[in-house]
Amino acid sequence: MRQYFRDVWRGVFTVLIGMRETWVHVFRPPTTKQYPHERFQLPPGTRQQLFMNADDCIGCFKCARICPVNCIYIDTVKAKPTEDLGKASTGNPIRQHVVRFDIDMFKCCYCDDCTTVCPTECLYMTDKFEASVYERSNGIYHFSKYEPALAMKMLAEQAAEEAAAAAAKAAKAAAAPKKEPAAAAPAPH
Amino acid sequence: MSTFGALGNIFKKQRYYFEGEGEMVVDLDPSAALDQRRDELIKARQSGNFPGDDMIVNMGPQHPSTHGVLRLELVLDGEIVKKVTPHIGYLHRNFEKHAENLGWNEIIPYTDRLDYLAAMNMNHGYCLAVEKLLGIKELPKKVEYIRVICAEFMRISSHLMAVGTFGLDVGAITPFLWAFRDRERILDLFEWISGARLLYNYIWIGGLSRDMPSGWIKQATEFLDELERNMKEFNRLLSGNQIFIKRAAEVGVLPPEVAINCGATGPVLRGSGIKWDCRKDEPYSIYPQFEFEIPVGEGRYGPMGSAFDRYWVRIREIEEAIKILRQALPQCPEQGDVKEAIPRRMKTAAGAECYVRSEAPRGEIGFYVRSNGSDIPDRVRCRSSCFVHVSLLDEISRGCMVADMILNIGSIDIVLGEVDR
Repeated sequence: MRQYFRDVWRGVFTVLIGMRETWVHVFRPPTTKQYPHERFQLPPGTRQQLFMNADDCIGCFKCARICPVNCIYIDTVKAKPTEDLGKASTGNPIRQHVVRFDIDMFKCCYCDDCTTVCPTECLYMTDKFEASVYERSNGIYHFSKYEPALAMKMLAEQAAEEAAAAAAKAAKAAAAPKKEPAAAAPAPH
Repeated sequence: MSTFGALGNIFKKQRYYFEGEGEMVVDLDPSAALDQRRDELIKARQSGNFPGDDMIVNMGPQHPSTHGVLRLELVLDGEIVKKVTPHIGYLHRNFEKHAENLGWNEIIPYTDRLDYLAAMNMNHGYCLAVEKLLGIKELPKKVEYIRVICAEFMRISSHLMAVGTFGLDVGAITPFLWAFRDRERILDLFEWISGARLLYNYIWIGGLSRDMPSGWIKQATEFLDELERNMKEFNRLLSGNQIFIKRAAEVGVLPPEVAINCGATGPVLRGSGIKWDCRKDEPYSIYPQFEFEIPVGEGRYGPMGSAFDRYWVRIREIEEAIKILRQALPQCPEQGDVKEAIPRRMKTAAGAECYVRSEAPRGEIGFYVRSNGSDIPDRVRCRSSCFVHVSLLDEISRGCMVADMILNIGSIDIVLGEVDR
């Protein structure tokens, strides 16, 4: 009986202690912010949306290779010896046309690995985080300077050139065995 | 408090009616008599001989109180739980198979997602294992200090989440909001140091991804002062509340021998009164330098190893983490390169393997790594504590009420990302 009333008293008393704590909070400034109207200032170096500066990309594929989720798609076309594509802002010479540089933001895990390996610092994380879209296709960001049609044409040209080069090489290789036995024949065993 | 309600205790003399013997007044300590009767009832129901229909109820995977996508199959007799079968696998992400196709470095973002509430500790545990495999013994002092500081802050944040949601399971909403307020501050600190709020990829093999910004230590120290004040408030609000204590101190009892036999670790093991902590008993990193205690369950308000004991161990661990941080923050060197010891090529002999365990907030996290001689690991296996704790659910909640079931889930504090991996 005594224990019971003691428990009741303790229950009421300790709740009153808690109520005092909550009552103190009425006179404190609020910790919440009305988000769309007020915003927190993000710290420097925050990791939100990924962005690529197409002028500086040299097409080295380092970011695509290190990406743990394979969300970066790159296609490059080698520049012809007569073309001069200039230099990136860090001084690295650009030797390829980056005809396609797509980032699938639905796949991206925001791990920051790609930006640390980028030699020209053209790939970086911005502080924009409100990037919701209504369709999945809008989540794939195209950063290349080249129009898709032009990119397709350049890639096809390069493929044709490569095929031609491969055919020439094959022809050369086919021609080579004729010489080889002649060269090998005099060799003593 | 008796299960049959507080009102039963008001009358000292209980009237019991027995068949054939007429009325009989038993003058006993009422709570003892009621407890005895409850025990008999539970024993009869557990043995399965009790007449009555069993009902099978699925709790989860969408239930808000299961702390994730956990499905529990409850065999109920009225309101008494006879058997609990956890069904897992709703959050399976194939961590091991992914790891077999990625470089050592690229696995770190995946370890973030194991226990997403304690991502720093997961990174730390994995990096310790790979460093041992690669033979990196000496790390820069600054790296070690920042790692320990981050791990301890993460422990505080994770425990705040645990005690806050435990309060929510009992029915207290205010402490949850207060715990989240403090947790947000820690996440702000992490965002400043690593750039991300939840999944950091901050601790790398042999170093860190970024240097500590200037002024971070000052901000962190100021936050610690505030946190100490807030924890006192929190204790006055929730931990000292008699209703909360009475509610939690008698449910979910895990005896120490069962805890050891099942392989429980972390606060669940320490709540049962066993003093085992990887940071003390198997020291790694620079933990031997710091003075701190290992809190264990006391069983002050009920049997040892109850839900309240586990809760109280977590609260005490927050205090111990503050103690470690108070020592580590002033000692942390300002100068130094955090990327100095990161190896260029991560290759070892084929077949090299090791297993390293470390203390995460929820228990021991162990990583077994094996190399096949190339850049890519042969096998990365993660031993998670939460997986073990889920299997304990049946042990600790057989014979309890459905409402106590919620408390038991909250008190073992599982993260399903770590259970399913």
